[in-house]
Amino acid sequence: MTAQEVRLCGLLLREHFGEVVAKVGTHLLRSGAQNLRTIIHETGISLDLVKKSLCVLVQHGTCVFSAGRKGPGSPTEYQTSCDRILRILRYPRYIYTAKTLYGDTGELIIEELLQRGHMTMSSTVKTVADRLTQNMEEGRSMDYSEVSSAFSKLVETHFLQRCPPQAGAGTKESSTPATPPTPESFPDCYKVPHMTLIGRGKRQLSSEDGEDQRNAKKAKLDLETHGDEGIYWQVNFERFHLHFRDQAIISAVANKLDQTSSEIVRTMLRMSEVTTSPTATCTKPLSANEIFRSLPSSYNIARPILDQYLTLLVDDPMEFVGKAGESGGGMYVVNLHRALANLARATLESVVQERFGSRSARIFRLLLRKRHLEQKQVEDFAMIPAKEAKDMLYTLLSQNLVQLQEVPKTPDFAPSRTFYLYTVNQLPTARMLLQNCYKTVANLIERRLFESRESKRLLEKSQRIEAILASLQASGAEPEQLTEVEEMITAPEKQQLESLRVHINKLDSAENQVDETIFLLESYVNSTATSTG
Amino acid sequence: MSEVKVKKETNLSDPAEIENRIKELCQQFPHGITDQVIQNDMPHLEPQQRAMAINKLLSLGHLDLLRNSSGLLYRMKDAQTSSKMKGSDNQEKLVYQIIEDAGNKGIWSRDIRFKSNLPLTEINKILKNLESKKLIKAVKSVAASKKKVYMLYNLQPDRSVTGGAWYSDQDFESEFVEVLNQQCFKFLQTNHTAPRLTDRCSQVDLSMDDIETILNTLIYDGKVEMTVIAAKEGTVGSVDGQMKLYRGVNPVIHPTGLVKTPCGLCPVFDDCHEGGEISPSNCIYMTEWLDF
Repeated sequence: MTAQEVRLCGLLLREHFGEVVAKVGTHLLRSGAQNLRTIIHETGISLDLVKKSLCVLVQHGTCVFSAGRKGPGSPTEYQTSCDRILRILRYPRYIYTAKTLYGDTGELIIEELLQRGHMTMSSTVKTVADRLTQNMEEGRSMDYSEVSSAFSKLVETHFLQRCPPQAGAGTKESSTPATPPTPESFPDCYKVPHMTLIGRGKRQLSSEDGEDQRNAKKAKLDLETHGDEGIYWQVNFERFHLHFRDQAIISAVANKLDQTSSEIVRTMLRMSEVTTSPTATCTKPLSANEIFRSLPSSYNIARPILDQYLTLLVDDPMEFVGKAGESGGGMYVVNLHRALANLARATLESVVQERFGSRSARIFRLLLRKRHLEQKQVEDFAMIPAKEAKDMLYTLLSQNLVQLQEVPKTPDFAPSRTFYLYTVNQLPTARMLLQNCYKTVANLIERRLFESRESKRLLEKSQRIEAILASLQASGAEPEQLTEVEEMITAPEKQQLESLRVHINKLDSAENQVDETIFLLESYVNSTATSTG
Repeated sequence: MSEVKVKKETNLSDPAEIENRIKELCQQFPHGITDQVIQNDMPHLEPQQRAMAINKLLSLGHLDLLRNSSGLLYRMKDAQTSSKMKGSDNQEKLVYQIIEDAGNKGIWSRDIRFKSNLPLTEINKILKNLESKKLIKAVKSVAASKKKVYMLYNLQPDRSVTGGAWYSDQDFESEFVEVLNQQCFKFLQTNHTAPRLTDRCSQVDLSMDDIETILNTLIYDGKVEMTVIAAKEGTVGSVDGQMKLYRGVNPVIHPTGLVKTPCGLCPVFDDCHEGGEISPSNCIYMTEWLDF
């Protein structure tokens, strides 16, 4: 957990849950596991607020609590993790993916679950159906069964999962006082967040229902009749990440080779989706025959052509696809970890290329390829004049993108008798860039907050005017009246609002783009951890 | 010297004749003759006399003394050089010898001083002398622009001295390299079917190795890939039964998200803190980017 991560987490929490939660969250991140009393004491926030913020954090799975470490009877301790909070950054991408895979219904299901942390299936289905109905034309409505079938599809494909502490909540909820600090050393203390969930969830539901009542056709069914109380669902981030990883590999193949080969890789990945464990270094071997049969017929790839494509993929230096054996017309695997490593390497190269120019990138690639090189060798191989090459190497060195290894001929490290070898260590460099990415996103968020703070007055004004317009329209006011109200915003103000909108959009999309880099680098770093461990 | 001559005169047989005979032998065997050969040719000759004759020839610079695995070899010196060296004194000859030994890599005047044990001023004088006689020439090395190396006049300087095709007057022709780099890439792009390593015309004669280094830079640019395949000996472009095929490739990923933001390229990224002198809120790069 680095300072950059904590800063970004704080900003994300503040945006999504407000100032108090952010303060409690960052405090917990900085100081590790703590009990409620210490949190209150050290943050100086009132008990009630701390409790509420802890509830919010627990509800969203960003905080876990366990019995105190000082033995039975010691106060419960709370702990947050950066990893989970940083997922907030990726919410738009999860929602977008759900939309592309399962349409609007899938999008709303994921959105609801992400916004509320975890929910029962029945309440999710109800909310989503209500929201869909609201957006439909008058007189039409969304059937619950359609939504629940989409929900079960998401569960089938592992995009949704049950929250770990399952059923049996009902009895405990009544018996256990609904206060987080209850010192309990048995796993039943997991029930506390469920209590708060129901409280919050219902409040939100009822308020929404209040608004919906005009349009929603559905009779309000009792939650109790669904029989799935206590079974809560959450979004399976890991599954989404596997999907993102596969997409990254497929698009890389498409960029490097062509569409057809990327379709072959897509087929291979889809075939092994279920059989391959999430941390495997490569997929289970697939025979060429199997691949041929599973290829969608619309691609029109003949068998000999498929064989040629597979050979081409195996021969490619990026090594996305490897050959595992000869049986069944050749067994092929997708080298997941190697693909990630290669993609991460390409990311590093791209960063160097964009930031320091293509000649520096040439040196960087050269070092990646040849491992250790002396300065003179770098100049010769890269065909860059000594003076420039020296300059570039030192710049890269000062940015920690290139490392220097001293190999002394004598033990005194005299410069004249020492080899100075330049090298690139991919993993530490990737880690460093990852931190840079976190800082970048934090900067973007800060800037976005700053931009909206600067035009706060204007934004409030435009909101007020929009509200007035809406109420006037509802009451059937005359057009002159409407234009009069509209003109309350002057032309320069309108322009300012427009440019603000453009700025915010730009910052938002930049955040998402950086998150793609973060995802790639994170997956690479994680993959090295699992393949060595 | 005079002592030697005195000793020789005391010999019964004519020393000049022996010398002539040895010279003849040397001409017969241009690769050099051993002591044994001379002994076989003139069995009546006493070892002492033989040594005298050889010593004289050596001191006059008619013979070269070489060492190989089987022992010492005597070889006739180039008539041309010996004629050129006429009128030179021993020191001059010594320096010439050292420069000759250095071959086409050349030798630095300081190294000549170490090898000859002559004072630097003396060496400079000799070098100037030799240069004016067009026996040696000074070549500027690319490794260190101020360093002059000397070599025989008729030699073509080594690549390590001139830097090969990429240097003109010790300056690295980076523009030339860049142009070739781009041309090679263009060529590979238009020939999608794995074109062979090919020489292309330009003002300068480029060897296969030169083109290969250029293609290598393209590999390091991430624009080209190389595959080595087995090839029949004698096919165009094959070396030691293998052939290098080059092919232009597309990048695997588009510029990554990080570098699309101003922070990814920011030169003061590490100094940037909220509330500091440089901060995201007052960042001019960010403002420019947002208004773009």
